[in-house]
Amino acid sequence: MNRQLLSPYQHRSSPIHGLPPVWKCAGALIIIFIIVLAPRFAWAVYAGMGGGLVFIALLSRIPPRYLLKRILCLEPFVLGVAVLSLLQADGLYFFLSVLTKSTLCLFSMVLLAGSTPFSELLAVLRRLRVPALLVTTLALTYRYLFLLLEETARMKRARQSRTFTSRRGQAWRSPALVTALLFIRTSERAERVYNAMAARGWRT
Amino acid sequence: MHIPDGFLDIKTAMISGALAAVGLGVALRKVRQQIPARRVPLIGLAGAFIFAAQMLNFPVAGGTSGHLLGAVLAAVLLGPGAAVIVLSSVLILQCFMFADGGVTALGANLFNMALVAPVVGYGIYRAVSGLVGNSLRGRLCGIAFAAWCSTVAASIACAGQLALAGTVQWSAAFPAMANVHMLIGIGEALITTLVVAALARLRPDLLDEQTEPARPARYGELAAYGLLISIGLAVFIAPFASPWPDGLERVAVKLGFEHKALVTLLGSSPLPDYAVPGLKSVMLSTIIAGCAGTLAAFVLAYVLARFLTPAEAGKRIARARESRP
Amino acid sequence: MNALQVEKLSYQYPDHTEALREITFSIAEGERVGLIGPNGAGKSTLLLHLNGLLPGHRIACPSVHVFGTPVMEPHLPAIRAQVGLLFQDPDDQLFCPTVREDVAFGPQQLGLQGAELWARVARSLEQVGLKGFEERVPYHLSRGEKRRVCLAGLLACQARVLVLDEPTSDLDPRGRRELKKLLGELAMTQLIATHDLELVAEICPRVIVLDQGIIVAEGPTGEVLADEPLMLAHGLEKPHILRHLHPH
Repeated sequence: MNRQLLSPYQHRSSPIHGLPPVWKCAGALIIIFIIVLAPRFAWAVYAGMGGGLVFIALLSRIPPRYLLKRILCLEPFVLGVAVLSLLQADGLYFFLSVLTKSTLCLFSMVLLAGSTPFSELLAVLRRLRVPALLVTTLALTYRYLFLLLEETARMKRARQSRTFTSRRGQAWRSPALVTALLFIRTSERAERVYNAMAARGWRT
Repeated sequence: MHIPDGFLDIKTAMISGALAAVGLGVALRKVRQQIPARRVPLIGLAGAFIFAAQMLNFPVAGGTSGHLLGAVLAAVLLGPGAAVIVLSSVLILQCFMFADGGVTALGANLFNMALVAPVVGYGIYRAVSGLVGNSLRGRLCGIAFAAWCSTVAASIACAGQLALAGTVQWSAAFPAMANVHMLIGIGEALITTLVVAALARLRPDLLDEQTEPARPARYGELAAYGLLISIGLAVFIAPFASPWPDGLERVAVKLGFEHKALVTLLGSSPLPDYAVPGLKSVMLSTIIAGCAGTLAAFVLAYVLARFLTPAEAGKRIARARESRP
Repeated sequence: MNALQVEKLSYQYPDHTEALREITFSIAEGERVGLIGPNGAGKSTLLLHLNGLLPGHRIACPSVHVFGTPVMEPHLPAIRAQVGLLFQDPDDQLFCPTVREDVAFGPQQLGLQGAELWARVARSLEQVGLKGFEERVPYHLSRGEKRRVCLAGLLACQARVLVLDEPTSDLDPRGRRELKKLLGELAMTQLIATHDLELVAEICPRVIVLDQGIIVAEGPTGEVLADEPLMLAHGLEKPHILRHLHPH
């Protein structure tokens, strides 16, 4: 699971990876805005944008199968909501247009995430004068995310190894207990992280 | 409930983005003023916690599984302001790192899941535990009901945004989202309540940290969020909740968005819902189900709280016995 | 003037159990001292006092002095720059998204910026043997590497005293050997709280034994650790390395 979440290709070298993070962000956002602002049935615009994205993907040397996998695993919600739009007039074309817009934007974001380590995005946010509390929160959430996912997996395994029944009630109490324990561990760790930050001179 | 890119038009994205930005700004300011430096890292780590908790599987029938949203959990454990920041942080990370939720829809997603869900949930939690009592049972009842309401409220806001953007008609979006989330809300309520009950058993001191900080300041903060949410509801839902079938056009005129192309595009359905009795009755039945569901949710919340705290009844009886001469 | 001077330090936990009782000791500049004792002796609590992280409230008369400066407000920022505390769990201390940001954290708080900052980061990483690790993500590092990054962060602050809490716990033999070599090479004053008696025997000329919040023994390592009855009485034991050096 963790391997899926953390892009393993963020530190490759390619013309795209080497671009300054501000350009990569701005580029992705501009592409997305163009796609979203395009009139509903502007298929030419979609085709053009799609071509451009494929070109960028090739330049970035991120394996196409990885990109495809990431896009596909995000499709279910897109499809789910898009289905509702079938009820409109021109239902099918409408549906296809929404699907195309969404998928192209997904492609753009997956490319951005795949070629930019999150710490670079944080640096961009700091430059944009985003409030320090929010940036610190984002940084800490990102930093401890994988650690906590691992702790959760360990606790689940430990519980599973001592579970001999499969009663439904237990099946809900168990993850609830793991969540509670996770919160307790998280709060205790937060105290220790504060000590570590204060010990190196941090003051708000 | 993460809306992807391409489902919202620019006006919806901008309105919800503005509301979310203001809400987040208020939360950041308030938290910085109220929370001591010692607790700041907890907000960051709580983001990781909520993210991890959202990934835990709670098995539902037939091999599917439910997941936690965590808005009310965060609000109860950390306070409403911190919860807004924590959930915003999770959503921003999901958007930029995992493309879960679109960039243009980030404002809307933040509004629904990081503003409406925790704030509405916290308000209901305080109201209900004020009503039923501040004992553990009362608080669990409040938490369960609040978790259900917050899920449904967020989904209705989401439906409103999709309808305002013209992607999905309100008459389809509202029933679909509301009905599904009334069911999902049950799961959210159960999970949140079970987690809090477990914490009450293991570390009650962690739960008590959020009770009764400076009351006036807290009300002011809640009022600010309440205002933002009301504006959001007015923009996203009111036009559709109105009895006039051309409600959207009226809103378009009021907001000055009477750009002909936009209005005709949005209203281009040759099957307006008032001509399709089927759709209209779906709406009505959803509203009735909603009212009945809310009542049922409250009753279930109370029952759940009682089930999880049998000791309290016993304690009361024991105390009553002791005080008898 | 001693690097660390502790006089009659006492401390109670919030639930009023006594953690430390009238602790008194001193460490001269450049000394390397081991702090040993059973679990729950109060070692970690004592170490937190050396950085002003405990007690949580303002104190009028501090019991701890670092190079003559009392450990209390408003001297705390300077104290924390001079006394580098290495925490037991490197994941608590490595809280930034990348190695370079984490090592830079301390000097940034001290006001360093720009090229000078990054040069210092690079030097500190090189000093701990992690040259080129700047862009690495903490999650992917081994435990030993994480510990060394934390150490680099303290070196980047140009700490004059290193206080280490269980530096070799959870390390594999290679990690332990590398850390031991590194600590042996660093010239600054060191106080090492540890269960690793072999480490103490190998690199600490002096040792302090703590049990139930009191110092029960203090002196040259060879003598204290060889005193088997004393070691066993306080939940410790005579390390094997001494058995080989002193067969009697």
